[in-house]
Amino acid sequence: MIKNYFKTAWRSLWKNKFYTVINISGLAVGLATGIMLLLWVQHEFSYDKFNKDYPDIYQLSSHFQTDGDNITWEGVPGPLAIFAKSIPEVQSSVRILREFDQVLSNKEKRKIFDRNTVAFVDSGFLSMFDFPLVKGNKATVFPDNNSVVITQSTAQKLFGDSDAIGETIIFFETNFIVTGVLQDFPENSSIRYDALFPMDLYAQQFTANGGNGDWKTIDEDMGNFGFNTFVKLQSNAGSEKIGEVFSAAYKKARNGDSDVAFRLQNLADIHLINAGGNNSALRMVQIFMLVVILLLAIASINYVNLSTARALLRAKETSVRKIIGANKWQLFFQFMIETVVLFLLATLIAIALIFLLMPFYNSISGKMLYFSLSDISIWKAVAIAVLGTLLASSIYPALLLSSFKPIESLKGKFSSGLGTVSFRKALVIFQFSISIILLVCTIIMSNQMTFLKKKDLGYDKSYVFTVPLTQKVGDHLDAIKAELNNQHGILNIATSDAYNFSNLQGSTGDIDWEAKPANSNMIITQVVIDKDFISTMKIPILEGKDFNGTPVDSSHFILNETAVKQMGLKQPYVGQQISFHSKEGTIIGVVKDFNFQSLKEKVSPLIFFSWWKGNILYIRTTAENAQQAIAAVEKQYKKYADNSPFSYNFIDKQFEAQYQSDQRAGTLFRVFAGIAIFISCLGLFGLVTYTMQVKIKEIGIRKVLGASVSSIVQLLSKDFLKLVFIAFIIAIPIAWWATNKWLEGFAYRVNISWWIFVAAGILALSIALITVSFQAIKAAIANPVDSLRDE
Amino acid sequence: MIKITDLQKLYRTEEVETVALNNLSMEVKKGEFIAVMGPSGCGKSTLLNIVGLLDDLDGGSYLFNDIEVAQFNERKRSDLRKHNIGFVFQSFNLIDELTIFENVELPLIYTKVPAAERKRRVEEVLEKVQIMHRRNHFPQQLSGGQQQRVAVARAVVNNPKLILADEPTGNLDSNNGSAVMQLLTELNEQGTTVVMVTHSEHDARYSDRIIRMLDGQIVMEVVG
Repeated sequence: MIKNYFKTAWRSLWKNKFYTVINISGLAVGLATGIMLLLWVQHEFSYDKFNKDYPDIYQLSSHFQTDGDNITWEGVPGPLAIFAKSIPEVQSSVRILREFDQVLSNKEKRKIFDRNTVAFVDSGFLSMFDFPLVKGNKATVFPDNNSVVITQSTAQKLFGDSDAIGETIIFFETNFIVTGVLQDFPENSSIRYDALFPMDLYAQQFTANGGNGDWKTIDEDMGNFGFNTFVKLQSNAGSEKIGEVFSAAYKKARNGDSDVAFRLQNLADIHLINAGGNNSALRMVQIFMLVVILLLAIASINYVNLSTARALLRAKETSVRKIIGANKWQLFFQFMIETVVLFLLATLIAIALIFLLMPFYNSISGKMLYFSLSDISIWKAVAIAVLGTLLASSIYPALLLSSFKPIESLKGKFSSGLGTVSFRKALVIFQFSISIILLVCTIIMSNQMTFLKKKDLGYDKSYVFTVPLTQKVGDHLDAIKAELNNQHGILNIATSDAYNFSNLQGSTGDIDWEAKPANSNMIITQVVIDKDFISTMKIPILEGKDFNGTPVDSSHFILNETAVKQMGLKQPYVGQQISFHSKEGTIIGVVKDFNFQSLKEKVSPLIFFSWWKGNILYIRTTAENAQQAIAAVEKQYKKYADNSPFSYNFIDKQFEAQYQSDQRAGTLFRVFAGIAIFISCLGLFGLVTYTMQVKIKEIGIRKVLGASVSSIVQLLSKDFLKLVFIAFIIAIPIAWWATNKWLEGFAYRVNISWWIFVAAGILALSIALITVSFQAIKAAIANPVDSLRDE
Repeated sequence: MIKITDLQKLYRTEEVETVALNNLSMEVKKGEFIAVMGPSGCGKSTLLNIVGLLDDLDGGSYLFNDIEVAQFNERKRSDLRKHNIGFVFQSFNLIDELTIFENVELPLIYTKVPAAERKRRVEEVLEKVQIMHRRNHFPQQLSGGQQQRVAVARAVVNNPKLILADEPTGNLDSNNGSAVMQLLTELNEQGTTVVMVTHSEHDARYSDRIIRMLDGQIVMEVVG
């Protein structure tokens, strides 16, 4: 019997090639997109779960309340790892201190690489996390403070194919011996470094450099919140309660003078939800999951619509089968098999499409996803997409087709009793509603990205590039500046300690002023600059003046508008006394607010100070002279650099890089909208074709009676276009709500204009019109004699 | 074999109620060949559908082999039908996607006959209707007469006790029509009861008894 079903299914598909191709195309495209998205979602949810103890591993974070705002820092003070030892539920703790953009070289300095991320780690790092060593022994990787553990990629870069164990690496002018080689940190790990150094080394240096005020060791220093600290708890230990224990212990150690709360966040959550509770990454994943469901729904709807529309053609066959003995469930099963055969073909094509499109998909999603049929997780994604769509698509048509009353169907009438025409219309409306919503989202995301790119940040970021200086180079800064000032094409030169001016990170609460409220926890972003920085960046000074490059600068401060407002100071601000990191000084200037962090945040308080020379060079040039300027700076750099690599960054590119994930989301949405419209139109095309066939007699009669081609096209098209219009009406409020929700994540945002909805509606309507017209015109110009003669 | 008493069948739409069969009573003995005749709309096809358990009654009684089937649900009717009744239609109603062999095999699949036995019985019946040489062809490759012979083969492959034929020669020329009528006669001679609806006086002469209908009632019975 099953063989008979498969035979019938295959022959039926072959006989109706046109509709089979429409169905398979829509399903294959929908399945391919759905599966690729599912892989991405799977990947996002898989972060850090390769650590077998991940359910018990937590990251500590610091939470402050400052004048109504909640501030969260990922780092906590070093002593928390010591407190952990006296908490029974804590099995172990590990501190990590990261340093970005570091230079590593081999001993001969013939291979030098910058842009390395290194970390100082406590000795329990490799026990807590599952990062396998390919060479070396976990228990003895850090025999002393001159040891380093590197990854396979780092080893390959520095030492080629030779064994890296025992080799020397130079970091910060110091020799380190490689005592371990790690497998590269997996892509789905939140913890990823190029080299690991022992925390004891950092501790030693900290103490040797005098510590931090009265705190001479990292285990005592309560003021440095720079340590990423992980704890492993006993199973089922209450993480919230343990956070409170840490908070209480810290408060006690500060003699009650602390309002910071420490919280624990599970390792598996940190990729998608940041320590401050911002779950925009998780929301994006959830949105993509919704898009998967919607795209697969649209593809299913095509199949359901076409199958039910063409049910009339199967009615006779179904009735004959019933008459000669088939029961309803045998017929149901037969139609299910037909759907299975179609889906199998569509799945094969989808898999082929995925192999072809994976590189392109990776480039727009920014991921390195692999599609390998030997990977069980791939099959999981394929199974979910295919089975889900199959079930959704097959049951209704199979039920409909198997429910025909035999005699009526044989006569050419069939009452499905299920309101099939209205149901099909509702499905088309649903498809186009989704497509229009996606179109609106795409337009608004695009507008928002353009807005962000073009927004006036309060300073001029065009043609400014930065060059990080090593200590050696920085020692000759004055000479370098003097040379470069004569260089044609270099307009301004300044220095700062800010590596990325569009995302300033360093902040502190250590600021005091006369009328500071007792309970104020104001956090202020702190930036070291020189006398030329404000003018180089073209930041307007609202009151007062700039630094002048003399020693008196060390007791002067420049604040931004938001700082002075939050401090509750009254004008004139210039001349007022403040204390910063326990050092007294005077406000000499107030600058206009400018955006120094993501445009998802409003401007916060900022202080410029000039206690030491910054190690980042800022150079303003022009479009025509940029290459010359870079070459000139490189020449000066290499004069003093002693083999350290030269690198530069244009700050407008750094700015744009912040929104990379939003840009990618925007691109992906554009692709989804295109796919949704394509599949919907494919279905519409199939339905229209079928409708034309059914109405062929009516069209013939109308033509004979004198109807023009255009009136027939109008007659045939208007029903379908009405559906698209209804879809548009339904889509507007949903699209408005969805885009509004997304825009809420930005402090600076575009307005949602009415014309965007109109544009999306017109676009959808136009595409539908083209789809429908093609077949309508064909039907309208056909010779009526042929259709009437056949009848 | 068939005993119908006071059969009522109504067709209802939103506004109109039509009496298709009006207190109709009839009997068919085992082995009889009955022709049912009458003008269009008299209810003869409706009667055939009820006899063939394809439609339900609105009133009256229907004994099929002494079993009261008037209140049978669809599943019971289907069961009884597939084991006891074969159908031949005016427009053949073969399934285009199946070969001749597969079309004739279909009733045996639905009655769960094993594969080897199916093959044997299909070949036997195809030989009988002299279409065995075309067994791997599709219906659209055959002439009308050939298709109807296949339809007859399909109707008899399960050895039904009753064959119902609805204008079996309606779409055939006279030669092919005669060939089909000959087949039905041979089956009847072998013991199968045949009830045939027809417009053709010529075809009706093959029967033992002609039942004439008008306006949903039997108005005359003529022994052939």
